[in-house]
Amino acid sequence: MDVTVTVNGTAYERDVEPRKLLIHFLRDDLDLTGSHVGCDTGNCGACSVIFDGVLVKSCMLLAVQANGANVETVEGLAEDDELTPLQQAFNEHHALQCGYCTPGMLMSATALLRENASPSEDEIKKALQGNICRCTGYWNIVEAVESVAK
Amino acid sequence: MLLREVEYAKPGSVAEALELLAANDGARALAGGQTLINVMKARAASPDMLVDLDGLDELRGIELAGDGTLTVGAMTTYSELVGSAEAKARPILGEVCATIADVQVRNRGTIGGNVCSNDPTNHLPPLMVAIGARMTIAGAGGEREVSAEEFFLGVYLTAVGPGELLTRIAIPAGKQDGFAAVTLGADGTCICNAAASVNGAVRVALGCVDAVPVLVTAETPEGVADAVRAASLTPPDDVHASSEYRMHLAAVLATRAAQEAAVR
Amino acid sequence: MTEMTETVVAPAPVEVQKGWGGQSVRRKEDKRLLQGEGVFVDDVKRHGMGYLHFVRSPYAHAHITRIDVSAAEAIEGVYGTLTGEEVAALTEPFFQISSAPGANIKDYSLAVGKVRYVGEPVVAVVAETRELARDASELVEVDYEPLPALVDARRAQDSDAPVLHDDAEGNLMWTGLYSWGDLDAAFAEADRVVKIPELHFHRFNSTPLECDGALVEYNRGVGQWTIHTNNQFPGFAAIMMGPAMQVGLDKLRFVTQDIGGGFGNKITSHPQLVVCCLLARKLNRPVQWTEWRTDFHLSMSHGNERWFHDTEVAVKDDGTLLGFRTKALDDAGAWLRYEPLGGVIWAQVTPGLYRWRHIELDFTQVATNKAPVSPNRGYSRMQHLWFTERVIDIVARELDLDPVEVRKRNYIRAEDMPYETPNGCVYDSGDYAGMLDLALELIDYESIPAKRAAAKDHGKLLGVGIGSTLDSGTNNFGQSRLINPELQFSGNNEVATVKLDIFGEIVVTLGTTPQGQGHETTAAQVVADILQCSVDDVHVRAGHDSYWNSHAGFSGTYASQFAVTGLSAVKGATEMLAAEIKKLAGAVFGGVPAEALELADGGVRIKESPDAFLPFMACGAIVNANNAGLPEDLDVTLNCRYVYRPPFEVPDVERKFGNLTLTYATQIHVAVVEIDPETGAYEIVDYAAVDDCGKRINPQIVEGQVMGATAQAIGAAIHETYEYDEDGNLLTPNFYDYHVPHALDMPPLATGALESPSPFTPLGTKGMGEGGGAGIHAVCAAIQDATGAIVTDSHNPYQRVWLLLQEAHA
Repeated sequence: MDVTVTVNGTAYERDVEPRKLLIHFLRDDLDLTGSHVGCDTGNCGACSVIFDGVLVKSCMLLAVQANGANVETVEGLAEDDELTPLQQAFNEHHALQCGYCTPGMLMSATALLRENASPSEDEIKKALQGNICRCTGYWNIVEAVESVAK
Repeated sequence: MLLREVEYAKPGSVAEALELLAANDGARALAGGQTLINVMKARAASPDMLVDLDGLDELRGIELAGDGTLTVGAMTTYSELVGSAEAKARPILGEVCATIADVQVRNRGTIGGNVCSNDPTNHLPPLMVAIGARMTIAGAGGEREVSAEEFFLGVYLTAVGPGELLTRIAIPAGKQDGFAAVTLGADGTCICNAAASVNGAVRVALGCVDAVPVLVTAETPEGVADAVRAASLTPPDDVHASSEYRMHLAAVLATRAAQEAAVR
Repeated sequence: MTEMTETVVAPAPVEVQKGWGGQSVRRKEDKRLLQGEGVFVDDVKRHGMGYLHFVRSPYAHAHITRIDVSAAEAIEGVYGTLTGEEVAALTEPFFQISSAPGANIKDYSLAVGKVRYVGEPVVAVVAETRELARDASELVEVDYEPLPALVDARRAQDSDAPVLHDDAEGNLMWTGLYSWGDLDAAFAEADRVVKIPELHFHRFNSTPLECDGALVEYNRGVGQWTIHTNNQFPGFAAIMMGPAMQVGLDKLRFVTQDIGGGFGNKITSHPQLVVCCLLARKLNRPVQWTEWRTDFHLSMSHGNERWFHDTEVAVKDDGTLLGFRTKALDDAGAWLRYEPLGGVIWAQVTPGLYRWRHIELDFTQVATNKAPVSPNRGYSRMQHLWFTERVIDIVARELDLDPVEVRKRNYIRAEDMPYETPNGCVYDSGDYAGMLDLALELIDYESIPAKRAAAKDHGKLLGVGIGSTLDSGTNNFGQSRLINPELQFSGNNEVATVKLDIFGEIVVTLGTTPQGQGHETTAAQVVADILQCSVDDVHVRAGHDSYWNSHAGFSGTYASQFAVTGLSAVKGATEMLAAEIKKLAGAVFGGVPAEALELADGGVRIKESPDAFLPFMACGAIVNANNAGLPEDLDVTLNCRYVYRPPFEVPDVERKFGNLTLTYATQIHVAVVEIDPETGAYEIVDYAAVDDCGKRINPQIVEGQVMGATAQAIGAAIHETYEYDEDGNLLTPNFYDYHVPHALDMPPLATGALESPSPFTPLGTKGMGEGGGAGIHAVCAAIQDATGAIVTDSHNPYQRVWLLLQEAHA
């Protein structure tokens, strides 16, 4: 099936099988390997992207469902190779170790901050509940997001 | 992790969706995909065709009628229910939806998908039974309404037959509701749950203990535990709980849900 | 140009100079990871690559009677397959660490003749796309003759138990008796003998978010494989794969860059890597393998499940512990991949943190129809330290003594360090009582009685528990001889190469395979302190590549050692480079001795007249491109390779005596739980973690791993378990059923740190990162405190707590 998917502002026209998951379309067809696969039951959130302004797990969407949609991935966050305040906060607060969950965490945090610029600690945890991390224990990630909250 | 080949259709109306479902034996409706896509990844089920209900306005919307009845479109997401002013007419809806999984799942998962998949550990089937919801099912012959009690037929099985679609759910007015669960971690899968509604007498619907929600009634919240025990349940045994432990939890959670409902 | 290599026994420790060491320098790794520009193995692509999918056994135990791949191979786009029969023809069985009977098992990289656990790879299919490989695998026909499955290790040696490996003539893989001190005397002196019939440490692992994977290319002309992978111990993989494939180790080039977590669970992917190698050669195209979550749970690196039976503890009435005897039964699963090393590695911490001298442990390891076990964070020490902590708390309960007092009475004292344990391990340093005091302060221990009363008022049970553990690091591989005296392994090593490039760039290559531990940053800190430059001037290459020739036999990142092995190699190489820079400058300045020179400001100058300055760029340029006129005997390359070798002896195999690890970091954790007695559901409401890993090069990086280990331990204590049904089916094969902690599950956490430098390491550092499972021990103790019931299992989900409460009331 022919689809046109806009990712980080660029429109891509591709022919895809209906069964192809959006995460595989991003990683394999578009070479946007920043979003990751960490599980096979939709639990880990490493594949999280923003889809028409809404945070979703791209492993539970088909590429064909993204036809005509606007998708934002981690590669689209930084401008001109400069880290955003959120990304810098992750660095300052040591909110990543292996970095595998990090793109998903950044997208979830980005979605949260767009909706709520001053989230409480509990609201941050709730917003990150769909993103599994095995390295950090989450404390530094929550702290990093808190630090950029207004 | 990788799906079998499947066809994909995106109908422009409910009527078109029904035609597609009726014409193709192996067609399944795709709602939020938060259950179905995972089922397909595991290859536990592999429909021949997915009929995508996204974008069908007829299936969306939350309306509050003058008499307090809420009508919720089947494709309404959990996030929409959580954020809806109208849905506050029955606060338990948003409260329970807010505890389902995580924000990514809530942004795509739908009330229709939750009740139609009827996984015994789901939150909404027992809730719908407790609050006396009524489901509207559309098919080639038109629409029919089914009470929640009659909607859930078996594990993954509901009154929605081949070639039919759940279109909306009608929820009567009310505020005296409660919900209690023991879950696998915060906002996790339910090990056992109970939904209660008080309207004179107490109605409690138990989830996780049988193929479908089990309804018990009692005069008072204090009487609920006996009613649960009298129901002679044989809950499933699995890695998270033995049958005996689930049985015990059912009685405790039913009482708590009823007590919560009684004091609201 | 020749490389200089020098191998020197570790010199006496020196103070890390003021400067970068000890600072929480922001990580160099982060920028690319935050931008989604990391390179994890599934990100690597090659033109024409084929995607591999494994057909896996649906049975826990069965004969394979027929395999037919023809239908799969007939599909257009399927490039080929590999079966066990081919593997048996092309490779030798993997080398076995064990002595008999485990030595006799024949382990190939695909099942040969028989399957022994659900999920065992049987056939490999390679196709043009991921989906096609998956589809084609369903067309592979495999006929099985099911056999009864053995899932309980306690039944493994019954006369009627199903036997997994006929070559071993039974399920016993390895057994050994460890005995030190004088147990008869200890038990005679005891006022009491506390008996504990059964303790059980459960099966789980660290489920790194990225699963295993590889992309393997084969160069036909030179017979060389390039293995892009996330295996975290390439030294071990090479030693296993080379002999199996009957090729020299230099034919196996391992390349890793970013790895999404390891925790020990990425050590034993070598069977799958062999399959990829054979297929890359057979099909003449690159072969890509991605392990899916379910595959990982079914087949990879479960942690050791271990029982401790018939424990007897000799105690005095005042709580002094004299000694213990116990029988440890270890469930290795279907294959010995890194086992039975678990049978000796626990002995690094034989007495735990305690002063008892009379110890006997009878260790037996058996095979069962479950996933093969291999190292999991805390590997084998965690199980043993959980045991010692349970003993402390159970003894305290029996004697009606305060667990804090019993610990303090029996802890090895700071003034006793370095302390030789009953089996000759030398604990380098540590102040256990001091750490416990700090942990109790952080948890506000004084307030616990009031909190307990308040909890009771609203119908909850509050409990507090301590977990004290050691993270022994930098293995002496000579301990493998206690498992099998014929093995020729001993000591340890790690390599670093530091060079000054033609334009003065400082470039560091390591033999390590970091999975988030911040090697690029901490190595840069050590280099910058020695070369007196900025960390920004030091470029540490990401990951590992055999072609850099900056690795040795034990290279990799595992077993809590980088701060000792890796950083000591970096220190050694940088000191060599610093000496060479001075030698070169001395010659260039016309014969100035090294003592008169100093490194500063990105170059080298004469101390007395600093205007005589040669920037690093000039040094690099001279040696690399402008070297005419240099003295003939000037022995300088500015490319310095150093192999760090920790000071070890081969252990005494007879007495099972000797130092098995170089450093012993300490963790003391306290957990407070609140239990809902009606349901058994509970929460951790407060938590303190105090850590001592000697000198910390980057305190923030250390603390990060302390936190991560805490979260994993909490997960294992409450929810995480690999549980099987009686037919050998894994009941928790994915993240839906195997629940790991999410953000909302985390308790408030207070951390504290002590620094007891190690007298045995060049930088005073100790390896850290595994955390010893302290959280598991603390949660068990807290549950025991809250319920009044004796906790005998490491895994306490809500149902078990509810049962404990029933027991306590009975």
